[in-house]
Amino acid sequence: MQVMTDLFARIFGDGLSPVGLLVAGGLTMALIMALVMASCAIVFTWAERKVAGFIQSRYGPMRVGRWHGVLQPVADMVKILGKEDIVPRDADKPLFLLAPFVIFIGSLMAWAAIPFAPGFIAADLDLGLFYIFAVSSAATIGILMAGWASNNKWSLYGAARGAAQAVSYEIPLALACIPVVMITGSLNMNDIVVAQQGGIWRWHFLHDPFLFVAFLLYFVASIAEVNRGPFDLPETESELVAGYHTEYTGMRFAFFFLAEYANLFLVSCVATAVFLGGWQPLFGPVFLPGLVFVIKAVLLVLLQMWLRWTLPRLRVDQLMHVCWKVMVPLALVCVLGAGIWMLATGQAG
Amino acid sequence: MSETATGRGWAAQDVRRELHSELLEINMGPQHPATHGVLRLLVRTDGEIVHGVTAHIGYLHRCAEKIAEGCDWRQWMVYTDRFDYLAPINMNFGYAVAVERMLGVQVPERAEHIRVICAELQRIASHLIAIGTFGLDMGAWTPLLYCFREREEILNILERLSGGRMLYNYFDIGGLRFDAYDGFERDVLAFVNIMEQKIPEYDTLLSYNKIFIERTADVGVIDLATCLAYGCTGPVLRGAGVPFDCRKDDPYSIYDRFEFDIPYGEGEQGTVGDCWDRYMVRMREMYESCRIIRQAVDALPGGPVKAEDLKKLVKVPQGSLYTRTESSKGEIGFHIFADGGSKPFRTKVRSPSFSNLHVIEKVGPGMMLSDLVATVGSLDIVLGEIDR
Amino acid sequence: MEATAIHALLQSRFGDAVLDYVDGFEKGSLVAPGRVGEIAAFLRDDPALGFESLMCLTGLDWDGYDATGKGKSVDILGYDELGRPEASDRVGDGDLGVAYALYSPRHGHKHALYVRVPRAAPEVASTAGVWPTAAWHEREAWDLVGIRFAGHPDLKRILLDEAWEGHPLRKDYVMPGAWQGVPLDGRDYAACKWDESGVTLPDDVKRQDAATGPETGNQG
Repeated sequence: MQVMTDLFARIFGDGLSPVGLLVAGGLTMALIMALVMASCAIVFTWAERKVAGFIQSRYGPMRVGRWHGVLQPVADMVKILGKEDIVPRDADKPLFLLAPFVIFIGSLMAWAAIPFAPGFIAADLDLGLFYIFAVSSAATIGILMAGWASNNKWSLYGAARGAAQAVSYEIPLALACIPVVMITGSLNMNDIVVAQQGGIWRWHFLHDPFLFVAFLLYFVASIAEVNRGPFDLPETESELVAGYHTEYTGMRFAFFFLAEYANLFLVSCVATAVFLGGWQPLFGPVFLPGLVFVIKAVLLVLLQMWLRWTLPRLRVDQLMHVCWKVMVPLALVCVLGAGIWMLATGQAG
Repeated sequence: MSETATGRGWAAQDVRRELHSELLEINMGPQHPATHGVLRLLVRTDGEIVHGVTAHIGYLHRCAEKIAEGCDWRQWMVYTDRFDYLAPINMNFGYAVAVERMLGVQVPERAEHIRVICAELQRIASHLIAIGTFGLDMGAWTPLLYCFREREEILNILERLSGGRMLYNYFDIGGLRFDAYDGFERDVLAFVNIMEQKIPEYDTLLSYNKIFIERTADVGVIDLATCLAYGCTGPVLRGAGVPFDCRKDDPYSIYDRFEFDIPYGEGEQGTVGDCWDRYMVRMREMYESCRIIRQAVDALPGGPVKAEDLKKLVKVPQGSLYTRTESSKGEIGFHIFADGGSKPFRTKVRSPSFSNLHVIEKVGPGMMLSDLVATVGSLDIVLGEIDR
Repeated sequence: MEATAIHALLQSRFGDAVLDYVDGFEKGSLVAPGRVGEIAAFLRDDPALGFESLMCLTGLDWDGYDATGKGKSVDILGYDELGRPEASDRVGDGDLGVAYALYSPRHGHKHALYVRVPRAAPEVASTAGVWPTAAWHEREAWDLVGIRFAGHPDLKRILLDEAWEGHPLRKDYVMPGAWQGVPLDGRDYAACKWDESGVTLPDDVKRQDAATGPETGNQG
């Protein structure tokens, strides 16, 4: 946000009070983040369909927008916004109407602490990483609300699975980040990225073997956290029809959709910032930081898509087994190992 | 939901009373992605655990057996197409064999060979769908598309052959409606060459995938005794470890001339008769079908494709006969009662999926909801032949 | 084992209950309807027979069957050219029957059981306890032919709706004119009035039209 307030200060000079600057800068950043979210939904739906097509030896969208169906997501959005907004008769109406926005807001808020470039961060919080994990778990409440309010047994199943999964996988997700926090000694996202300056060998995922494992753990847990294949248990179209958003239509369904892709990008951005050096290039001085950051995050997203379209889905008990009996212990070992590594290499201060 | 959980009168109730829970009755279908058609499974669940399954069928019922009583013998062939709409040729084959046995008519050699080629092509096509949709039930999208890619080639061949892409009506009593087109053998051989290379691709993508094995091994075990009791046939029976196949054990047409093996489940990844075994039987049967097709194409003679001594209006001599043939789903049987006239007096269709589905009520209780989906998928049912 | 030998074995064991030997394409035994259950159990459990597999169970209506083999059986009733159910004065007579096609996977031999029951009291002993697969086949026979199976665990319709009237595979079955208030006799639905409470179907739109000539009342 510093960038924005500075920008406004330069434009308006003394015309705006410090409070005014703060408000203007904050609003502009919020707008940019909302746009990022919306555009990543649009870009990623198209990318998902192209990736799926590529993997499945077909084309994917080819018509709308002449070149490889680039305008397909726009057409989809126009269509989906034009749909009737149906609320089932026996639904719990307030909760039903509210749920999509709760999910959406949960991921929107987390965007505030993502450092896209030096200084280009909506809220440079000292507890940035902690904040991200805290607010993104609000989406679980939205999932439960949606599933309960739909008054549909399949939705309820999806919600129960979704809540259990999100709550469980948050633990390895957060634990995997702890070694990084130990090394940098800070939860501030900016500090974490800055600590990885100086080429790929300084990035956290190559810091020591434990951190490499931690990175893999984070990546797997993040797929589960955003409910995507092979961990898409809450949706499982072959079992639960569509899970917690079975009953949603039109605009409200679009919000679930938006939140899914925004979350997908969000966890990739966090992985980029925490493990993959953020805006730091592979080598040499900082160069087009925002672009470097986005490229890294997008590559992670594409990797997640690749997994989704290749692997079958786990069963719900296997999912929990993987989390509690494999990933949580491994993450704890990583925390311990990273600590010992620090002691041994004399980094502990 | 237990009463106490609703919150009403919480304080007044004896909290020490053991929490009891009721089973949740939930309808899987008739509109559900995993029921492979309009099947309704009434499932009683306790959380993710299934306590009871009741199958409600009949949504596609057309009473084709009543229609048969108003058609003449040849006309009803069209309706057999509609039973298993994913393997109509195998249905045609069963009916044709049944009627020809009663007529005592000799089908020309060329027709027999083309019939076998078509039936085996159709078996591959049907198995491809079974494998693809089974993968889909497991959450793997991509194999389905690969399977459809190969199935498309089969449909193209059958379309050039018969004019139809889904319902062929190509077989006739006493032979075929018309001869194969020029270059039929070439197309078939070209396809078989491709197909044999593609099967390892499915194996890498799906069969030996760790998650897939976790989801299917030891799941939905149907043992031999259950198979016999419930009349399960086809890949379900073979998955239970018995190499029983009507093509070998109750031979019809010219299957006794070809060399092929009958794959059966050996519990390679888990228990004999689990979902993986049933799946793998289908996968291996595609190889065997390719083998049969090669031999049939090599031996394909010239000559007529219709029995020449057969009148247009067939009259089947009085009596009854149960004839079974091996369709892709299992044993398709036609129990025909003829009164000597030009119309069937009564034809009963014993469809493989009918019995194969019945077993779900037996093996369903105790498994998880996801396993129920996996088991139904591994049975490879087609509602067209269940409901007829 | 040959069918005649199986028949002889059954006869020696069950005496009167085994009525006749049925020759033809499918060789088998005609047995008494009330004792099918025990005969079935014997067929399955006897080590020399070992009929563990019930391949098929067929219910059928012998009404109007032409035993001379000329194929002059009765015509079934359908719909007339206006789509109305055909009616007939003929009252169905003749027995109902059940046919069991058995196979022994152990010995590889086949046998058939035939049962005939009077139309007035069509009751056959259930074999669902012997071959569980029979449960659904018997439900189908009850549903479509109307044969009751005594001792069946859950004898109800399987393919048709519970509320359906009649058994379609009977030779004297009259096709329904309407089902759950929806007429099936080819009426012109476009000409029917409807409002929120439902569709009001004039009883004889098509028939009147047929009587008076070309259609005039099409309101779109």
